[in-house]
Amino acid sequence: MNTIFFSLLAIFSLFIFMNLGKIKASKKQMDRDDRINWGGRQNRNVSRKKNDGKIIEGEAEEVDDQSKK
Amino acid sequence: MSRHSAINRFGRSANPAFSRGFENFAESLPLSERMTLDGAVNKTGILLALCFGGACVGWNIPALMIPAGITGFILALVTIFRSKEKAGTTAPFYALAQGILLGGITFMYESAFEGIAIQAIGLTFGILASLLVCYKSGLIKPTENFRLMVAAGVGGIMILYLVSFVMSFFGSGISLLSPTNGSLMSIGLSLGIVCVASCCLVLDFDFIEEGAERGMPKYMEWYGAFSLMVTLIWLYLEILRLIAKIRSR
Repeated sequence: MNTIFFSLLAIFSLFIFMNLGKIKASKKQMDRDDRINWGGRQNRNVSRKKNDGKIIEGEAEEVDDQSKK
Repeated sequence: MSRHSAINRFGRSANPAFSRGFENFAESLPLSERMTLDGAVNKTGILLALCFGGACVGWNIPALMIPAGITGFILALVTIFRSKEKAGTTAPFYALAQGILLGGITFMYESAFEGIAIQAIGLTFGILASLLVCYKSGLIKPTENFRLMVAAGVGGIMILYLVSFVMSFFGSGISLLSPTNGSLMSIGLSLGIVCVASCCLVLDFDFIEEGAERGMPKYMEWYGAFSLMVTLIWLYLEILRLIAKIRSR
């Protein structure tokens, strides 16, 4: 009885895995802001671009000063 | 800043950092060379079949257990640290080698506790399926904090294994890890390890899902299947140990 129960559990679970595994996860899972970023390198690109944006802001102020002169 | 909040702030297509960094795989690779969920699941099926085949060999010839275990360990290190691209070649051999090891270990447990193998197999696949349902439905949401917690847990457990391994050379070991130790403390530790290994499964699902979403290269299907196999093998061994401890009481 024990063996039959666990054998059926294993077969049924494998069947679920092989079928459900091929289906895309729900929107609730995919469309989140706090998802794990598996490509760690890309994060550094984002922060670098963010810093670049701040530098550009500084330059814009300098341009304004020159135009006043 | 998380990936999605960055995209929301800067826009999906206007910023070249995102188009190069996050969306590049889907654009640069042809459809047939991109990772898919179907491919990853099918390859996991192939690895599981190879593992079962190896287990049959290990069950009948337990002497092969140690060489197969060492081979599997080396193949795992090569796949993780040297060549993810070659996962299609190394992962099947890894599954076969680990299958032989699992067959031998299961044979030893089965001789001491009759019927333990099928219980452990059923529970391992049961956890796999139930966690997959929870992940796909969005009931469990892996985040960066979740990953950090799991990484810390895995790190602690690996140190425990290492200390126990080193101590075994001096004739002792950590008694809490012994399968014949039926104390509540020992069972609690095994339960904790099973929980951490189960959380690793969720991370594997998320890795495969994101890889397919971003259209990563085809070889990542093998790598995703390989990482799932590593976790499943660890989970199976820990469940075997947990059942043995419970039955020793």
